[in-house]
This record gives sequence, C-alpha cells and structure tokens, in this order.
Amino acid sequence: MKDTLRWAYALNQWNFRLDVFVRHSDQLRALKTLSACGFDHVELPAGTGRWDNLARPEVILLNHGDHAGFLDFLRRGSVRGVSSVYWDPGQPVEEEGWAFRSTANRHDHDAIVESAKPFVEFCAGVGAEQLVVRPVGSAWMSPPPDAHGLRTVGELWNRVGELAAAVGVGLALHYDCLGAVHTEAELVGLLEATDPALVGLALDTAEFTIGGIDPVAFYQRHAGRVTHVHLKDTRYADTGQEYRMPGAETTMLRGGAGRRIERWFFELGTEGGLVDVKAFVAALRSRAYPGWVVVESDHGGNPAELAMLNSWYLQYELSVAKS
Amino acid sequence: MSERRIKWSYMDHWRSNGPAGPVDQWHSHRTMSAFLKQIKAVGFDAIDTFDFRLWQMYGDYGGPAGYQQMVQDHGLERIVNTFHAADYDLRDYAPHVPETHERILEDFRVTMGHWSVIQLDNIIVMPATLYYDMEPVTADKLKITAELWNQVGEITAGYGVRLTCHHEFFCGIQSEPDIDTFYAYTDPRYVSLFVDTAQHCIASVDPVALYRRHAHRVSGFHFKDTRDVATGDDHRHRPDSEIMAPTTGKWFYEMGTPHGLVDFEAMMTAVRDNEYRGWISVEHDKANKDGGDFSEATAVARWYAANVLEEIYR
Amino acid sequence: MAWSKWSYMDHWVTETPQGPQPPSFNRAHMDRYVKQLSALGFRGFDTFFFYLPMLAGMYGSVPAFERFLQDNGFDKITGIFSAYPYATRYTAPHVRETHDRIFADCEATVRAVDGLSVENFIVMPSTTYFQVEPVTEEKIKVMADLWNRVGRMTLEHGMKTTCHFEFWGAIRTREQLDLFFSHTDPELVFFFCDTAQHTIAGVDPVQMFRDYRDRCTGFHFKDTHTVDEHEAYRTPPDPELMAPEVTRWFYEMGTDGGLVDFPALMREIVASGYDGWLTVEHDKAELGGGSYAEATCVAKWYIDNVLAEVSR
Repeated sequence: MKDTLRWAYALNQWNFRLDVFVRHSDQLRALKTLSACGFDHVELPAGTGRWDNLARPEVILLNHGDHAGFLDFLRRGSVRGVSSVYWDPGQPVEEEGWAFRSTANRHDHDAIVESAKPFVEFCAGVGAEQLVVRPVGSAWMSPPPDAHGLRTVGELWNRVGELAAAVGVGLALHYDCLGAVHTEAELVGLLEATDPALVGLALDTAEFTIGGIDPVAFYQRHAGRVTHVHLKDTRYADTGQEYRMPGAETTMLRGGAGRRIERWFFELGTEGGLVDVKAFVAALRSRAYPGWVVVESDHGGNPAELAMLNSWYLQYELSVAKS
Repeated sequence: MSERRIKWSYMDHWRSNGPAGPVDQWHSHRTMSAFLKQIKAVGFDAIDTFDFRLWQMYGDYGGPAGYQQMVQDHGLERIVNTFHAADYDLRDYAPHVPETHERILEDFRVTMGHWSVIQLDNIIVMPATLYYDMEPVTADKLKITAELWNQVGEITAGYGVRLTCHHEFFCGIQSEPDIDTFYAYTDPRYVSLFVDTAQHCIASVDPVALYRRHAHRVSGFHFKDTRDVATGDDHRHRPDSEIMAPTTGKWFYEMGTPHGLVDFEAMMTAVRDNEYRGWISVEHDKANKDGGDFSEATAVARWYAANVLEEIYR
Repeated sequence: MAWSKWSYMDHWVTETPQGPQPPSFNRAHMDRYVKQLSALGFRGFDTFFFYLPMLAGMYGSVPAFERFLQDNGFDKITGIFSAYPYATRYTAPHVRETHDRIFADCEATVRAVDGLSVENFIVMPSTTYFQVEPVTEEKIKVMADLWNRVGRMTLEHGMKTTCHFEFWGAIRTREQLDLFFSHTDPELVFFFCDTAQHTIAGVDPVQMFRDYRDRCTGFHFKDTHTVDEHEAYRTPPDPELMAPEVTRWFYEMGTDGGLVDFPALMREIVASGYDGWLTVEHDKAELGGGSYAEATCVAKWYIDNVLAEVSR
C-alpha cells in the first residue's frame, strides 16, 4: 500500500490448525496472495515445534539457514519484510519443555525474560520493529489484578523492554478481550506501571471493542503510548462477564457455552461490524501515528478470502492506494 | 504515466464457503459483493461472465445493465466478454448440422438483444459440439460449421461485438489441422479466435505457436494452466470429458502453477511481439478441486501476472 | 462372524465458522464427531495423551467422556497415544538424561485414565531420524531401556506399552526393528503395527505381524500410495509434511493405488487367534480436498464389504 501510514498483514490466519501451513510452497502462495492484495510486510505469530516454521525462531532458521535466507524466502513471494512478531509467554512451548509460566508470578520472571531472547534476537535479525506480547494470562484463570499485581507484571515487561531496546526493537503489550487486565482502568494501570521509553501498547481494535473499551476514544486519550496497531472488526461485544467463563478460549470465543457465538473476529467492512474503522484510522492520521498498522482477520475462515476483502476495504473505504 | 496496453479481466468461476456448503458468487448479493471486492482487491480491471447468467442478472439485478452497475460500484470497469455456453444437441443445436442453423441464428439474435444494453467486446463460443457428437471431423463438417459462424458473426458485429471461438480439448474442432482448416473457411471480418492456453495444451496444440500463426484473428485469451495432456480417448469421453476423463480429475490450474505445461512467458512475449492491445482474461475453472481455493488461486494468478508477465509486456 | 472390535484413532477436521478445525473446537462439534463415528459402528476410541485434559474439561472428566462414548455405542477408550516426535533438551528417548522426565510424563498420562480399562499405551519409541542419526545399536538400546521402564509401570495399571514406528523415526528398517525388540523385554514392551508407516519404510507389515505375533497388541489400518525411495525420512525438520516428492503419504483403506494388502493381513490376524482391537486411522485425510467424514465412511465400507469376507 502507498500511504503515510505503514500497512502490514498478519500471517496468523493461515496457520489455523497445527500442521496446515508448513510446506514452503503453501507459504509462498500465502505471501503471493498478500502481495497481490498490496501488502509487503507481514507480522509473524509465535509458535512451537517443527510445524511452526513461520512462527518459532529456531524452526524458521532451521528451514532457511539464517535471517537473510528467511528474508529471501519472503521476497520470493514479493514480501519485503517483517513488521513485527507476536508472542504469548503464557503459552507452553515444546522448546521450553512445556513449562507453564505466568507474568503475574514474580518467580517466573527470570525464565520469561530468558524465553524472550530468541524472539528479540529474531526481530533484530530480520529488521522487525516490534515484539508484540500478551502481557497477562486469561482472566478466568486468576483473580483480577490489583495495583501490586499490575506493578509485578509491569516490572517484567520493563525488563523485556530493556532487552529489546538494546537491539533496537520495540516492545508492545497487546490487550486481548480474555486477558486478566480487562477494564480500561486496569489497562491504564498496567501502562503506568511500565516505562514509556521501553514499553508501548498494541491496540487491537476488535479486542478492545469486545472487551468494552472504545478504541477510538482510548487512542485519542493515550496516543503517545500506542506503538502498534492490529486492525480488525467484530460483530459482538462481551455482555460483561463472558470473558470470565471457565475455558473462555473455547466457551466464549468458540461458542462452547453462553450465547454460543462461534466466530468473534471479522474482516473490515463486515456487516454489523462494531468497530468504527474509519474514525479510528482518521485518528491515527490526525496524530501522525508512526508505527505499523497490521491488518488481520484471525479465527475467521478462508484466509485468502479475508485478506482480499480487507484489501478492498483499505482501497475503497479508506482510500489507501495499492501502489 | 504511460497507458497500459494490457488489462486483466477475471472469468466467472468461483466458490466460497457458505453455511450450507460451497456456493458460487451468484448465490446472493452478499456473495456477489464479496466476489467483486476480492477480484478488484488483487488488481483485476474487469470481469467476464457466462451468458447463462443473464437470467440471474434479470432476476437479482434488473438485467445486464443493472448488474454491470454493481460491478462498477465495486471499482471494476465493466463486463468485457460473455461466454455463450450452449447446450449442443444434434437434434436442434449443432453447428455442423445445417438443419439446426436457423435455430442457432435466432438464439444469437435474441441473445445479442439482451446484451445490447451494455457494450461487450466479445461473445465467446465453443464452435463445435462435443467431439464425440461431431466425429468423424471432416472438411465438409468444418465448412458447414464455418458458414454458420460467419452468419452469427455478422449478427454480433451489428452490435459491435466480435464473435470469437474458444476450442475446448473436448470440442469437435480441437486438433491443430482442424483448427487451421476451420479458420481458413471463416471470414476474418466476422469470426475471431480466442486462445485458451490450457485447452490447447491439453489437446497437444502449442498455444504460443497457434497464436503466432493466427495473431491477426485473435480477439482475446484465457490464460490458464494445466498439468496434463489428454491421452487416448480423454477428448471423447462420454458424457463429460472434463469431469470424467480417466487421465486426471483436475485439468485446470491458475497461471504459474508448479509443473504447469503452458509457457506463459513465451505467450506474453508473443503478445508483445504482435503488439496486441486489450484484454487478457484470467481463468481457472474448478480451482477448488483437490483442496484448492478460488480466492487464493485468483490472488496467486494476479501476482503472477503482475510480477512475471507484466515484466515482459504491460 | 465378522470382526467387530474396530476402534477409531482420533484424527478429525470439521467445518466451523472459523474454518476447518479439529472437533475440540467446542462441545457441540465434539458431540457431532462422536455421533458420526458411532453411526458407522466403531466400538473403540483411541486418542492422544494431550487431548485428555481437553476432554476432561469439556465433559467434566475423562470417565465422563468415556460414558458419553458408551451412550453412543462404544465400549470404551481403548488406547492412548503418547509421543515425542521432536527431540528437545527436555525429552528425547535416545538421550538417557531425559528418561526421568519422559517417565514422569507417562505416569501423568496413566493417572489421567485411572479407573478406566484402556488397553494400549501406544508410544513412538524414537524421535525423528535426522535428530538421532547415526542410528547405532547403543542408541537403540538406550531407547529400549526407557520403554522397558515405562512398560513395567503401565502394566501395573493394566495397560500395555506398545510401540508404533513412524517411517521417519530412528527405528525404521527391519534390522533396526529386530534390534529394538531384541533389547526390550517381551513381557513389558509390545508391538503396534501401523500398516502404512511400515510400508513407506520398505517393511512388510504382514511379515512383521507374522514374526511378532506374540507381542502384537494392536494395529493402525491405514494405507499409502508411496514407498519412500528418496530418503524423505531424513528431511528436516518434518519429513511427513515437507518431503519434496510427496504431498500426501496417508490414505484410508481401499483407495486406488493403495499398497497395503489388507485382506492378507486380515487373514493372518484371524488365523492367529489375535483377539484385540483393530484401529482405523487416516492422518491428514483433508489433504487434496479430502474429508475425514467421507474417508472414514469409505474405510468402514471397506471393512464391512471387503475385510468382512476375509474375517468370516
């Protein structure tokens, strides 16, 4: 896309199940799809194991030799680079013996900082600007954070932020609708517990909306802390306590219980979308937002179709020139 | 910015996943809108349609003009070509059977009347019945067929639309000698050639050489690929070669597919050498077979056009 | 009488609003999956060790899930599959220092099915070939020691540790298989015959069964169209998915081009007096536009119409 804002696309929607996005030829098709849609940078989702060869740094490097080899691979699909990498330290991984860690637990902090290193190094190696992280685990697994809890989490991310800053990589905390940091007050509390020079906020428009926070108003109030954006839509907002259902990843986000809504995230321009995408993007422009705007539509269905519909929206509703 | 000599149109084949299984884009306004957005998003300039869609156009969009308006509202230029996919039948609709000609001519008079509310470039036909209904293919049959299309072409020319022939691997006129003979019998004012790269390859006809030989008669292209050449009786397999021939269950692929047989770079070079200006139609029938996906195939095809072919000629 | 002890190995993909997903997507999809298997007449259910927590969460407990199976005509959960396909510094069967951790994992899995009567504790005895090579007798012995230890423990809980050999595992040739079995205690470590995996590795599964009949406690009945003649088995990091020559290795029984002689194997099984479970499996049936539902129906048709003739 040709614009003052920098547009990227998230690859997570192609890796929708375990082992379906592994062969290089299939991955090149996805990259070409994105290129045809006008995107030339991608955000990688973290993963684990030999099947996550676009997601786990060691496995990426095993597949492509080194960072330059990986970038060459992307270029074969006309993608020029990596904007960012998304990582959830609370997700057990094979490379760490499936250890379960919580950012809210101070005793886990050393191990989490250690486990951040492959991602920080990878971002630096491929020229990715941001390491985007899930700051806390799901709300249904723990009590709501108090001031002390937010400080504990903040300390961890300051440490990781320092590690990242040392190699020129930014750190952005990604709010999600299931996270233990749920309300606007809690989110602001977490931000205040971090050093603005080291830690930014990744604002995901759909996650905010589902969680009951107006992304446009929040951005207007806290633009200085927003260093990364995920742009996607939703048709539903949490009625208030759904995120607390046990197993909310399944019971809420996959319709296992409650209102039985089996799909929450949608492409831009979807019927009945709740995100005021135009107002949000206008707000980004008005503040000369300097970071990446990563368009995504994970957990949604046919990945190519969703990317193409998102591209159309950018071109025709947001008047972003393709080239 | 220099004017583009080549523009890209997408030919009407699509499936998306609906709540009740796969549906084509004509299923509803919503699915049509999603289709048009995707076509435009990856950089196509226009679309081609089958002309049996006329009835859905009338029913859902008020007619071809109303449907074209929807196409244009999504940022695409227009409908460039229509494919007249007739139900050939030896009893009453067969180009090599003179007794059926009046019916065919009347069909085209009516069809062109329907389409006259917009401006098409081409009306594309398969110029013969299925091979097994025409064989043995004789010079006489080719002559009768050519005479029919001369008359049809005169009708369509009256509407400013070129009558152009597309040779399926399973149609009566598919071998190189028969194609050359057919064009020798037809009037270049009224009958054009529409080169389908995959169909010709499958029939063991080199599409690049064919194009170079008949370039002055060519009014358009289907750029699609194949991985197989028809063997044995594939081309005359009853009742449907494309779907049921033993060689493969999937004949067609998007441009640039691995192990594809069409030399698109040579094709594009020939297009450039002949200074062809106008539309190239991209097609990949049944892209969703064997785990494929229309959205992705279309994006990848347009990537190929932009990054490989337009480097040769644009 | 036709063989009726058929179990199904838990691989499935279903269409959801979020695209094609495993049936663990939510409880409604999981129920539908079980019902589909039930409709075809499967009586046993084999699953992966890492699904047990999900099943417990979804149904209230693993025994509650088994009761749901039973309400749908199943006898029980018949087998649990446990594996370390990829060697890490924490777990690698050929590395003795990791054995305590693997043993502890196996104990945890066994505890998860406490109180049930699961028959087979199916293991992948090694990780990927390329992480083990060169494959030496010493390394095979180390792996054998591990599974002897695990096998003794699982037997105490009524389950047999039974070894399933991938074509891309370190123990793959007939010589390596024989060596492994010679180093393991026949009272503690058993043989699980995957017809496709052996065929791909150039090993005759029917002959394997003949030679290891007394140690055989189960089968994966699945087919392949390809013998690995390009050393695909050593392709890092994943031979099964990334072999350049092959996009699909596994097929349901009864496809054109299938290499496994299922009627011959069935005759041997019936003649031998084996009375355990026969398990249907077809990994990645969705490749090339396939569907698990259809593949499973076709496999069951094959059982009911082809193998039934042999097993009468």
